[in-house]
Amino acid sequence: MGGSRLDEGETMTTAVSVRRARSAQPRVAPWAMLAPAIVLFVLFLLVPIGYAIYLSFVALRVDGGAFGVRRQVFVGFENYVTALANPEFVASLGRLALFGALSVPITLGLALLFALLLDLPGIRFGRFARTSIFLPYAVPGVIATLLWGFMYLPSTSPFNYVFRLIGLPPIDFLNEGVYGSLANIAVWSSVGFNMIILYTSLRSIPSEIYEAAKIDGANEWQIAWRIKIPLLTPSLLLTLLFSLIGTLQAYGEPTTLKSLSNSISHSFFPLMKVYRDAFGTDNISSAAAASVVLALGTLFVSLALLRLLQRRTFEETR
Amino acid sequence: MKRSTFIRIAAATLATATGLALAGCSTDGGGESSGPVTLEYWTWAPAVPDAVEVWNKAHPDIQVKVTQPAGADDIQAKVLAAQRAGEGPDIFAAEYQKLPGFVVSDAATDITDLVKDAKGDFSDATWNLASVGGRIYAVPQDTGPMVFMYRADLFEQYGLEVPTTWDEYAALAAKVREVAPGSYLGGYPDEASTFAAYAQQLGAEWWSSDGDSWTVGIDDEPSQRVADFWQPLVEQGLVDTTHFFTPEWNTMMNDGTLLSWAAGVWAPGTIESVAPDTAGKWRIARMPSWDGETQVGYMGGSSAMVGKTSKHAEEAVEFLTWLNGSAEGSGLLAEGGLFPASIAGQEGLSSLPVPPIVGGQDDFWTLAADIASDTADVTWGPNVQVAFDAFSDAIQKATNSGSSYRDVLKTTQDAVVADLKQTGFTVK
Repeated sequence: MGGSRLDEGETMTTAVSVRRARSAQPRVAPWAMLAPAIVLFVLFLLVPIGYAIYLSFVALRVDGGAFGVRRQVFVGFENYVTALANPEFVASLGRLALFGALSVPITLGLALLFALLLDLPGIRFGRFARTSIFLPYAVPGVIATLLWGFMYLPSTSPFNYVFRLIGLPPIDFLNEGVYGSLANIAVWSSVGFNMIILYTSLRSIPSEIYEAAKIDGANEWQIAWRIKIPLLTPSLLLTLLFSLIGTLQAYGEPTTLKSLSNSISHSFFPLMKVYRDAFGTDNISSAAAASVVLALGTLFVSLALLRLLQRRTFEETR
Repeated sequence: MKRSTFIRIAAATLATATGLALAGCSTDGGGESSGPVTLEYWTWAPAVPDAVEVWNKAHPDIQVKVTQPAGADDIQAKVLAAQRAGEGPDIFAAEYQKLPGFVVSDAATDITDLVKDAKGDFSDATWNLASVGGRIYAVPQDTGPMVFMYRADLFEQYGLEVPTTWDEYAALAAKVREVAPGSYLGGYPDEASTFAAYAQQLGAEWWSSDGDSWTVGIDDEPSQRVADFWQPLVEQGLVDTTHFFTPEWNTMMNDGTLLSWAAGVWAPGTIESVAPDTAGKWRIARMPSWDGETQVGYMGGSSAMVGKTSKHAEEAVEFLTWLNGSAEGSGLLAEGGLFPASIAGQEGLSSLPVPPIVGGQDDFWTLAADIASDTADVTWGPNVQVAFDAFSDAIQKATNSGSSYRDVLKTTQDAVVADLKQTGFTVK
């Protein structure tokens, strides 16, 4: 730094005292660099969350009669009780669980499989394979759903066209098989992202381990099963967590598919019900309460998962 | 770089960014009492901007600016959000079933005194659509009395006769499946606005009020009769179950799989964009009746409300009286595809060209006006959206699982009553 020139005699003491003086002053540079992020975080995350929590404790009520105007009143936990006791909300959580049970294991299983395959030595077209598996992730959710939606529609479905040709009965993607169809879209979109995470972790495993294993006579399958997967458990936990949080927030796919299917109701998944309450029936306080419940549930599930698998996962790295 | 220089630059950047953001947020003040008044009008109807242009040229002191922020379903959320932020539009379009919802959300101005003179421009039934609790909150713009729109060419080809009663409709639906196995006479009411319109023919009152409390009659006898009528038709596969305006439905309207559609009298204008190649092949007829009654129900139709936050209610009403009530304004709206609610507008229809979809039906406008003159008296409650959502969810589920449509009515009734009570209304 363009500092001042020090005289010979004063060099050490002055330098030391300047250093000490500098470290005693509060360092502004880090705060200045963080400031934009902090401002955005407060404005667009903390303030809306706080407002939503406030909204969940009030409601618009009429004072009896038939034509009064709805005014905002404080209602305490009434919105939470109504949200949790609402059979539609509970049913939507059940549907979400079914959807998650289909999409999460398949996504992670496929991602793991692809990552292991791509990590095999001597593989050809590795970069092409990686890019093409990752490409669906780059397609925005609504577009992906519309794309698959038209592939599910009876009159435009290429699958049913082929089935008709070979004489098989057509599959009802949009009504009977709606869970599978939704899960398929979710899997297609997110396998690439999870695969990249797992693949990157695999790449960071030192190759000496493989050499040692090969000397002991292990083949590729045993290496994968006994070495790679156990070493991948932290990444697997990470992708599991991401997938669960993403599943709990599923909204784009069922909403976009709703216009094509007769089996998706307005409250098919919890977030759809929240959206409908907030912007359809003008009941924003009920929506706020439901979304707080959902957020707390997500937090609880994540913490529980981490605590449960923490010891197994992170023991070896300690 | 010196630390002090860095801090100065960072602070300057932050200040500039904040300043720009704040400047972007600032709004112009409301119109002054002297000088031209600008009214902001939020609507979705494509017919309105052309009519507004004519007004703006003739009235330099009251200028209207049209914005089309959303379709009929989404505009409510946007209007309420803008109102609550204090910057709502001066005028906004509202379907009749949404009127009471806006009123209880304190989004509309009571214009009863301002529109007294315009009452004579509309029929009593139409005027009642704009009133809530005995006060007027909107100026009716267009209405949607139900008509039966059918493929005249295919009816002739298959030897079918237009049904005049619903029993004839049921028999015709079976005949269509025999003579044209790939086609259907039509669809079933899988959403509430169509279903309610069928029930309105029988005098069903889904909501009614005596001024102090609400009575909900969704699962009353008229609606149950409609439910019992459609159940066997759906179960036996005599009618199609695709929801209208989906891609599948659009295809079926184009290729002759669907032979009819019962909807508001705006249907020909709307089908123009869905199936333009079928122009000239459709005709409209009166709705089939249940017991020979002549009144029909409504499907859609909109009005214009004056926003609560508007500072120019008088000017807004002056404009709306011209747009919706006068022969000139209504004529411009009709040219744009709306079926005008005003008497003058309906009388002036015969001079307009017939919509291309029903090209060749020379008595289209006369028939439409005749149908519009005998409409059921309808009262909408403050939570129509709750009813509509509950109904369409329940009836789709019932169709998929084969359960009774009467239960659908019961589910909707319970949901509506519970919601009214929770909001604090008195329900009998």
